[in-house]
Amino acid sequence: MSETKPKIVKWDMHLPYRWSAGIVGTRWLEELKNGRIMGTRCPKCKRVLVPARKFCPRCFVDTTEWVQVGDKGTLRTYTIVNFNFTDQVKNPPYIVGIIDLDGADVSFTHFIGEVDLSNIEKASKELRLGMRVQAVWKPPEKREGNIFDIEYFKPIKEE
Amino acid sequence: MGKVAVVDVTQTKHGAPYTSNETVRNLVYEVVKELFDETGLTRDEVDTIVTSSSDFWQGMGCSNVFYYDAAGAYLKDSPKVEEDSALAFIYACMRILSGHFDAALVVSVTKCSEVPSIIDLTGIYFDPFYLRWFGLNEFSVAALQAQLYMNKYGVSDELRAKVTVKNLRNALNNPYAHRRMSLTVEDVLNSKIVSYPLRKLECSEGSDGACAILLTSEEKAKKFTDTPVWVKGIGWSVDHYFVGDRNLLEVSSLKVAAKMAYKMAKVTYPRKQIDVAEICEPSTIQEILWYEKLGFCGEGEGGKILDEGITEMGGELPVNPSGGVLSTNPYVARGLIRIAEAALQVMGKAGRRQISNVETALAHNTHGPGGSHHSVIILGR
Amino acid sequence: MRKVAVVGVGQTVCGRRDDVNFPELIYEAVKKVLEDTGLTIKDIDAVVAGSMPAPMEGVNAPHLYWADALGAYQKPIIRVATCGTTGGSIAHCGFYHVASGLFDVVLVVGAEKMYENDPQATMTTIWDYTYDRPFLAGAPGVFAMQALEYAHRFNINIDDLAEAAAIISVRNHEAALDNPYAHIKMKITVDDVLKSRVVSYPIRLLDVCPISDGACAIIFASEEKAKKITDTPAWIKGVGYCGDETLFSDKDIVEWISAMEAAKIAYKMAGIENPVKQIDVAEVYNPFTYHELTFYECFGFCGKGEAVKLVKEGFFHKDGTLPVTPSGGVLCTNPIGATGLQRIAEAALQVMGKAEKRQIPKAETTFAHAMGGSYQLNSVFILSSKK
Repeated sequence: MSETKPKIVKWDMHLPYRWSAGIVGTRWLEELKNGRIMGTRCPKCKRVLVPARKFCPRCFVDTTEWVQVGDKGTLRTYTIVNFNFTDQVKNPPYIVGIIDLDGADVSFTHFIGEVDLSNIEKASKELRLGMRVQAVWKPPEKREGNIFDIEYFKPIKEE
Repeated sequence: MGKVAVVDVTQTKHGAPYTSNETVRNLVYEVVKELFDETGLTRDEVDTIVTSSSDFWQGMGCSNVFYYDAAGAYLKDSPKVEEDSALAFIYACMRILSGHFDAALVVSVTKCSEVPSIIDLTGIYFDPFYLRWFGLNEFSVAALQAQLYMNKYGVSDELRAKVTVKNLRNALNNPYAHRRMSLTVEDVLNSKIVSYPLRKLECSEGSDGACAILLTSEEKAKKFTDTPVWVKGIGWSVDHYFVGDRNLLEVSSLKVAAKMAYKMAKVTYPRKQIDVAEICEPSTIQEILWYEKLGFCGEGEGGKILDEGITEMGGELPVNPSGGVLSTNPYVARGLIRIAEAALQVMGKAGRRQISNVETALAHNTHGPGGSHHSVIILGR
Repeated sequence: MRKVAVVGVGQTVCGRRDDVNFPELIYEAVKKVLEDTGLTIKDIDAVVAGSMPAPMEGVNAPHLYWADALGAYQKPIIRVATCGTTGGSIAHCGFYHVASGLFDVVLVVGAEKMYENDPQATMTTIWDYTYDRPFLAGAPGVFAMQALEYAHRFNINIDDLAEAAAIISVRNHEAALDNPYAHIKMKITVDDVLKSRVVSYPIRLLDVCPISDGACAIIFASEEKAKKITDTPAWIKGVGYCGDETLFSDKDIVEWISAMEAAKIAYKMAGIENPVKQIDVAEVYNPFTYHELTFYECFGFCGKGEAVKLVKEGFFHKDGTLPVTPSGGVLCTNPIGATGLQRIAEAALQVMGKAEKRQIPKAETTFAHAMGGSYQLNSVFILSSKK
């Protein structure tokens, strides 16, 4: 390697993007405002796909039947994120979970909350794959029609 | 070159509100589904899907991940070619020629309305140590090219403006086109200067759109049609990187690409043997310059053949009956749309923009400032 | 169908390469592969280049930026980019260039300069902007979730799984010490791994790949040309590629169907019916230890749920039944755009007998894999010294 210390040239790019949520995506987000998690059912394989979407990726046909799914479900898997990067939405540590919502045939991604994260090992013992979780919604007047209208899913005990 | 058949093409209506309102993902689904519906091809029968988009032009890293299953690629072999969808077409041809695949979809999408401007996104083609600091972009380099051309051959502003007038007027015949209007040379010259001497109406704008093409082997083509369109020749090439390293008037990469494609297609006299050309003209001067490098006329004669009407709809070698890129420019998808339009001409399915008696059509695409990279595709019966 | 071989390989030393800019890094790899094969740039008919999203290094259309470093002036060049599988995809593209009959000698280059940006921030944009982006951003999290689900499905004790993952980490780090191009070179113990900081539970720091700068170049050639260029071409016997649905939560991430399919397609083409018997070395794509483990099962190296046991028995060690990543793998060297190609390069070097200290004796047939996307894409190559 050379003796000269290389010059580091810096550049901060700010590139504004504005993506359309699409017709189906818009309705899916608006329904979140209404406190409803919506899916669409594939007429061929009959699976209920969440988030609601325009077509079934496996059967490749339009999915036009809208179905409301439960806001309770089973925790399929999770992780406790404990590292930083630019523009991260939450400060670590935080829990991300994949949830099998009641009535849906694919899983759902969101945060898991109301778990003490002061000790990661301890927290991991509190969480169990297969445990029941329940969505905690923002109060209706605070909802904006985005994925954070659900604040997180909390572990619940069910009889 | 072995045989590759172009069986069907689909595209979105690039100027329609629906196209701007939908997501990139759903636009891909639309063009692919339409292709399946039109041909009767099932997803099972597709062996591979070559997609094309650009992460910067979509604002998403690994942009094909986002629309992968929308392209019908669930459990399929589907790579992504970046920046230039004509190259995705070319790659798909190679996959078929290898004998490993019989049916290949080529799909591309870009929504310019969702992303920063062409000026911003072509500005970052330039290296961060040297050229980027001058705020160069696609149009400023085209302007440099224009200055060189005007200086050498003395072509007027009015003559350049005729390219816009021709193409946007041609687009009135194209229900898929984005910008479709009847302009005068004065209208073009009255528009604001973007990068001297190029004016706003001499420069392409971004569009939203998607396109899909179905390619098959010779054997498989028989299932769909008795008269397939064949890919006769393909060529592609690139220039040096630094603007100062390049001869902007020579456009060597286009000459090399054209030579390669013409050799394969056994085209020795393009002006007579090509019946229609769909070329990529990011700005007016470049259409004039590309005529020369494609061999439609001699050096310095590009303005002349435009002026004489040779490249008009009724002329000897119509160029851009679809309206070209000045009309319709979903940046990455534009290459595939050139090929789709050329294919429609050979198929006789180009509606009001159909040129009569098309046996051989040429499609061309370019990307990179001042035309760094070019690809040429010859289609015919 | 036309036969294609790898005739040469060029790799840069990987790590923090502030001594070169991006094109210079490319040039280094290209120079090395030309030296390796005795070819000049004039002998190259076409070029394929790839890297992670252009935003990662902040230059749009990087293949234009690299054009001169690739010697691509006036040559046909295509850029292919498919996330983590980029290295595999560019190799596929190079393969089809030759297999198509249009070209005889094709240069393929994959590279990355990860120290020029925040890679996680760039990768954040991969995910759907209306839905899972805020949650899945951060690659380790995605694979951590897979690890827990895997343990749950096969009733594996999480500590057992963690220990097997740690053994994998130790094995790869030790192997990297013998690889002159590898980035992370350190001697570690299972205990070191199990005590390292939790990055995304249950994944720990020493279970995770680094970020690296690096480039890799391979030359593919037709049969006729290959014989002239080298006495030991690495023949491409099988290629496979497969991708899943876009949304992470739509998929089964434990028994990963696209990984199984990619391998199945490549195996069929190569006539592999018993991977453990017929494959001598497997360069599995392993940015994370837990993940590497699940791949053994996807590729048929062992039965479902059996990997932990075999890892502990040393089945996949250098002197085991099926050596995996004697190069140290992605776990120790991670210039993402190059990583998939490095697996193929290393697999090729094995059958060419040129893998130096990392050479597995009598390696005749090898396996090279790449993975990418939001847990989505897989690429497999089978190489052999036998035509």
